[in-house]
Amino acid sequence: MTLVMVVDDDQDLAEMLSIVLNGAGIDVDLVGRGDEVLEVFRNHPPDLVLLDVMLPGIDGVEVCKLIRAESMVPIIMLTAKGDTHDVVLGLEAGADDYMVKPFRHPSELIARIKTRLRRTNSDIAGLLAISDLSIDVQAHHVLRGKKVISLTRLEFDLLVALAKEPGRVFTRDALLSEVWGYRHSTDTRLVNVHVQRLRSKIEHDPENPEIVVTVRGVGYKAGALVHS
Amino acid sequence: MQRVGFRLGSSLAFRVIVSTVLLSLSVVWLTGSALNNQLSKGVKQVNLDSAIIEARSTFFNTQYRLALAQGLPESDVRRVIIDVITSATSIGRSENARQIAFLETPGQTDAKFNYEIKSEFLKVDSVPENFKIKVRKSSDIKWIYSSFAYPGNVSTPVIILADKVEVPNAGQYEMYFFISLANQNKTLELIRSSLLLTGFALVLLIGLITWLVVRQVVRPVREAARIATEFTSGDFRQRMDVHTRDEISTLGNAFNEMAESLEKQIARLENLSRVQQRFVSDVSHELRTPLTTLRMASEIIHGARQSFDPNVSRSAELLVAQLDRFERLLEDLLEISRFDAEVAVLEGVDFDIVSLAKRCIEDLTLVAAENSTSMLLIVSDETIMLNADIRRVERILRNLLTNAIDHADGKPIEVTIAHTEHDVAVGVRDYGIGIEPHLLSRVFDRFWRADPSRARVRGGTGLGLSIALEDARLHNGELEAWGRPKYGAHFVLTLPRREGSSIEARLITLKPTT
Repeated sequence: MTLVMVVDDDQDLAEMLSIVLNGAGIDVDLVGRGDEVLEVFRNHPPDLVLLDVMLPGIDGVEVCKLIRAESMVPIIMLTAKGDTHDVVLGLEAGADDYMVKPFRHPSELIARIKTRLRRTNSDIAGLLAISDLSIDVQAHHVLRGKKVISLTRLEFDLLVALAKEPGRVFTRDALLSEVWGYRHSTDTRLVNVHVQRLRSKIEHDPENPEIVVTVRGVGYKAGALVHS
Repeated sequence: MQRVGFRLGSSLAFRVIVSTVLLSLSVVWLTGSALNNQLSKGVKQVNLDSAIIEARSTFFNTQYRLALAQGLPESDVRRVIIDVITSATSIGRSENARQIAFLETPGQTDAKFNYEIKSEFLKVDSVPENFKIKVRKSSDIKWIYSSFAYPGNVSTPVIILADKVEVPNAGQYEMYFFISLANQNKTLELIRSSLLLTGFALVLLIGLITWLVVRQVVRPVREAARIATEFTSGDFRQRMDVHTRDEISTLGNAFNEMAESLEKQIARLENLSRVQQRFVSDVSHELRTPLTTLRMASEIIHGARQSFDPNVSRSAELLVAQLDRFERLLEDLLEISRFDAEVAVLEGVDFDIVSLAKRCIEDLTLVAAENSTSMLLIVSDETIMLNADIRRVERILRNLLTNAIDHADGKPIEVTIAHTEHDVAVGVRDYGIGIEPHLLSRVFDRFWRADPSRARVRGGTGLGLSIALEDARLHNGELEAWGRPKYGAHFVLTLPRREGSSIEARLITLKPTT
């Protein structure tokens, strides 16, 4: 059974979240303080973390960095503020996605969680290639030569999305629906921040990207293949 | 030139200086001419007196010498006359030139000899005829101011003095003594020019002094005006320098006190509004967590409503609907508090406003159908790119569309998009209930309703149009409204296509022609 760790200091909301998640067939670990997260995380590694920004102890953005330092587990931030600043901080700290309280529909939360948990592109067999990287979709590996590059699941999905259609230019909206499962979203910050993070891991020079190439005014596309 | 004139004309210092100079000019003129009159009169009198004395002595001397020559032969008498006249005359054209004419009084029959004689340049007509008559009638010296011309017509002012002289054996003669006044006139000219020069210098000095004095007064006044202007433009720390103890310092102190009090008031109000904005923002944030819990709880209850009896089931539906509304209200309030706190920021991206409009229309098609209306899109081009905050532009369009659907009264809505190189405009026109023109200015007011008795069909928050207006202004754009009862309303949004620039023209006429 899937285990989701819910980190929130509001007990009623935490309880409500667990009722909703349990209803969707998901087990829940509740943590009320930022400084207790790592211990619980190590003892019961969850499949996904639902993390509030405002926390006693250590704040959510810091907790996010601590988890990212030792795990590629999907993280969804819960924020009471829709302000750009907090959202970007959370995403830069390593969160895959964020939800602004109050959620439009609780079912939206479930959908987001499921998107982040599902095995994407499981239909693709064999290897994909992008620039000088090869991607083993089944094994969830990205290799540069023999060296394994470690990516979060979301970064991996982003890379696969671009690599499986090498000629196509993806608009940010298209990537949002492809990778995050959003329909009709205009939030381009998610895409921008994650492209930056992905580039910092795979590009030789993140300032002059050759693998995830920006198409000005439109979006992104996969860089040309390099045969080494 | 005109601007300089305007500046001078409007300058206090300039006006004071001009009037002072004009007044002192007339005073100097009056005193100067009085002085001039007095002086020239005096000079003339002195010259006349000395001329009379000189003439009298010459005439007396002549008469005396001629009396001594009584009985001498004609040639001796003639020599005496020539001698007397030569000694009293200075020949030439010098400034002190004296000429004498020794003429016989006409009408004497017993004259044996003619002793008439004249100085070198004198002519017979040098003595005015009526003066001659006067002299003949008089028993004493007579004089007249006149002029006589040297050969070559160089005219010289003279005084002519005359008396009668008895010549032995020749009867009565008249002796005319010409004294040149060239010297006297030179003196008078000198006096006049000195007076003029002095007067001119005096006026100039008075002007200069006035300027210096006026500057002393005007400078602090100008300074006060400058500081007041800066104060008006928002720099409340400006104060006047006060270092003297006079009326100007009183003005300065009064001004500074006013500034102090204003600054305090403004700071107090600013603080108050900051506290209030902060409070609204905090309240909105704090409400979000319980609202999330409520939302999820209601969703679960709503999901299970089929197992409840009809009343409970309906209550669950109302609960969900009202939570929706509550949430929208909270979002709008939060957005408004961001505008009030001036922390709203633009996140510009390039996007196609036509596809955005299409998407908004598509999303609202069902709602429109529920209100038995529909939306028609008229575009000037298939894609119109612009750089703007897409989230805000979408919100403006949605607000305008829902507002139109609310008021369309079942008639179709027209959405027009027009563009130029520089701007893009979106017009949303409905043919519904419309609005009184005098109420138009209020449609963007918060929580304002045209007709309070009329319920909101969509359950809007009452903040939609205010937020739309703020969103438009944040883009340097404009959102304007037109309306007429029973003819519907027309809202026109105009935005610059590049973020940061401002709009050049209105592309859609606000007031419809049909």
